Amino acid sequence: MPNKTLDNYGELAAGVREILISEEELQRRVHDIAGEISRDYAGRNPLLVGVLKGVLFFMADLLQALTIPAEIDFIAVSSYSPESRQQGVVRLVKDLEIPIDGRHVLFVEDVIDTGLTLNYILRNLRIRQPASLDVCVLFNKPNHRLIDIPLKYKGFDLPDRFVVGYGLDYRERYRNLPFIGLLKPEVFQSNKG
Amino acid sequence: MIPSPEPADPSSPRFSHPAEEAFAKILDFYGIAWVYEPRTFPLEWDEHGVTVEAFRPDFYLPDQDLYIELTTLRPELSTRKNRKLRRVKELYPEINIKLFKRREMRDLMVKFGLYDQAAGIEGTQAQKPEGLLRKNAQQNAG
Repeated sequence: MPNKTLDNYGELAAGVREILISEEELQRRVHDIAGEISRDYAGRNPLLVGVLKGVLFFMADLLQALTIPAEIDFIAVSSYSPESRQQGVVRLVKDLEIPIDGRHVLFVEDVIDTGLTLNYILRNLRIRQPASLDVCVLFNKPNHRLIDIPLKYKGFDLPDRFVVGYGLDYRERYRNLPFIGLLKPEVFQSNKG
Repeated sequence: MIPSPEPADPSSPRFSHPAEEAFAKILDFYGIAWVYEPRTFPLEWDEHGVTVEAFRPDFYLPDQDLYIELTTLRPELSTRKNRKLRRVKELYPEINIKLFKRREMRDLMVKFGLYDQAAGIEGTQAQKPEGLLRKNAQQNAG
């Protein structure tokens, strides 16, 4: 069956110029990664940790595709904005509920580009002395990297483009697109979102 | 041949472009150490050994040992900067340097919620202000 085109998504895809990674490609890759994790963490009851909110879609699909027992937990960090900057530096706004000392922790992230946020979170988690701490990222933007972070599992390398869908937003929109798409330039030119 | 670092005062740098200041604030927010324009790399010399062209990256991240150059110039206007960057890599292959181009700067601004700045980059020629052009001219003159 051929992949869907933008027309198949109707209003949901308004503002999207092009599908970069199709729904089918995404699901295939997520299942491949889940297979690798299931093999590597067999018998270790891993704790999958994600940072809200972008990772929700990936985390849900990944967890369902695992063939081993696993637990999940989430944290949230303050995002950079002119307003948050007045409050100082990045901080946790929601902490983990499950203690991670001695646990095999797999940090699951939707996208890594600069590495700034992930670097802060990993520093924070390492202090809690997990048995292991590795990173699984679905979308990698290596050209934007400022902080070098080893990635144990990686879904796709993305080009230097601002992409939306599968949890990735532009001004809180487009998260629920089931594919990864590029926005039309005029979307960025409108400050009204 | 890496020239000696020139002293910089990171506590009160005078940024040449608003995008540089925004970038510095993002680094501060995430606790990343940075220095603004700490080093100038000579690129060309005249027959007397006097530098006639040089390049000074905007930022240096000491913990990452990484230089960062930002540009908001449209691609058709950034040929000269790209050439300089290539020359830096040829002459100083041991340094790590990363260029954030216009579109990448826009994306970075969007990512960190700086929508007005992003729209500004997208909607204008985004040439650097006169002050910076003067700075570059001074660098070119050695």
